[in-house]
Amino acid sequence: MNITEYIASGILESYVMGAVSDQERREVECLSSIYPEIRQEIDQLAEALENYALLHSVEPPASVKDKLLKELEFGQPKEIEREPIIRELPTNGPTYRVTWIVAASMGLLLLLFSFYLLSELRTNQKTLAATRTANDALQLEMRQIRDNQSRTEQTLALLRQPGLRTIELRGNEKAPQGDMIVFWNTQTHQVAVDVRSLPSLPADKQYQLWSMVDGKPVDAGVFDATNGTELIQRLNRTVTRAEAFAVTVEKRGGSPIPTTSTLLALSPVNA
Amino acid sequence: MKRQSSLVSESVLIEKLTQRDQQAFQWLYDQYSPALYGVVLRIVRDDEQAADLLQDIFVKIWKNLDAYDASKGRLFTWMLNIARNSAIDSLRARKTQPSAAIRTDEENVHIVDRQYNTEQPNPEFIGIQEVVSQLRPERKQLIDLVYFSGYTHEEAAEKLNLPLGTVKTRIRAALQELKQLFK
Repeated sequence: MNITEYIASGILESYVMGAVSDQERREVECLSSIYPEIRQEIDQLAEALENYALLHSVEPPASVKDKLLKELEFGQPKEIEREPIIRELPTNGPTYRVTWIVAASMGLLLLLFSFYLLSELRTNQKTLAATRTANDALQLEMRQIRDNQSRTEQTLALLRQPGLRTIELRGNEKAPQGDMIVFWNTQTHQVAVDVRSLPSLPADKQYQLWSMVDGKPVDAGVFDATNGTELIQRLNRTVTRAEAFAVTVEKRGGSPIPTTSTLLALSPVNA
Repeated sequence: MKRQSSLVSESVLIEKLTQRDQQAFQWLYDQYSPALYGVVLRIVRDDEQAADLLQDIFVKIWKNLDAYDASKGRLFTWMLNIARNSAIDSLRARKTQPSAAIRTDEENVHIVDRQYNTEQPNPEFIGIQEVVSQLRPERKQLIDLVYFSGYTHEEAAEKLNLPLGTVKTRIRAALQELKQLFK
């Protein structure tokens, strides 16, 4: 904008005379804050009016000053302000302290409570883990018991079948601790063994049961030295006739002819 | 004339005033009350009313010191505007009261006295009065109407039976002349 023109427009004179609208006044004040030339012109005009006003000076009655000195509030504001602050501190102190204590105790309580919750959580986690382990162990045990039971039932069923003969085989000098029972059903011709104690064999060897028919050995199946872990081992051969039962050590899977040097036990059926 | 404000820096004065310092107030009052009283008297033309107004004006100044913004204008101008506005407002309020409009002859004489500048000026201002007498009468009249009586440009144009443009031009010329006179 053209400042010279604006100054020459007469608006500033009207402004200092107080003869402008509110909008014009705001405009002039805004512009004067931006343009030092306008501000300077306003100041000069205002000073001229001040001087003009001074020309009309008249000494006022002394009573006005006296009244004003009584009416107006004077003081040393700094000291007045300081005093209430000093007095307020002790009255505010306890409130402040109480607030602080309350806040601190709340915080402490919350902290303690969270520690409690955390320890509870840990205990529960431990209990849960222990319970899981116990549960797993129980399930395992249960499975074993169930297996045992089914085996026992099978054994019992086997033993209850009519026509069952029980032949106890004792180990000879090669297996003095050898002790086993052969179950032979003369009707179904099934054979099973209950190994109580036999020497354990290398992995490529197995015990073989033989039935003696007319003085000749006949393969009656192979079995392992389970030594009580398995109640009964059913053998996958059928025996229709037998005068005696014998046990030899053979290669895994059995052999057609018994190795007599490894004969461990021999026991007649009709002992 | 050289104003005494040069004796005390205005910012220091204002700072002391905002601290409600009694000495600062007394200094302010002693410095400016004759000018403010003169202006108020010039507007309301009644000693008693002017004295009451002057008291109100200083109370207003005292209470509104925090609102004074040095960046927007001079302190004396700010005070003058408070005084002028208070006096003009008071005059207008009185004019609306019918009883106040009835004046006795004695009062009229007093008013006429005032209007024709028969107030007793402070002797130290006489030299300046002479300077102002150099101001063209029609310009002085316009300043007085607008500044002391609170006339708007339109009201002044109507009162003086002049076109609005002439009033505006003349106000500018009057103030420029005033500015030159006090240089």
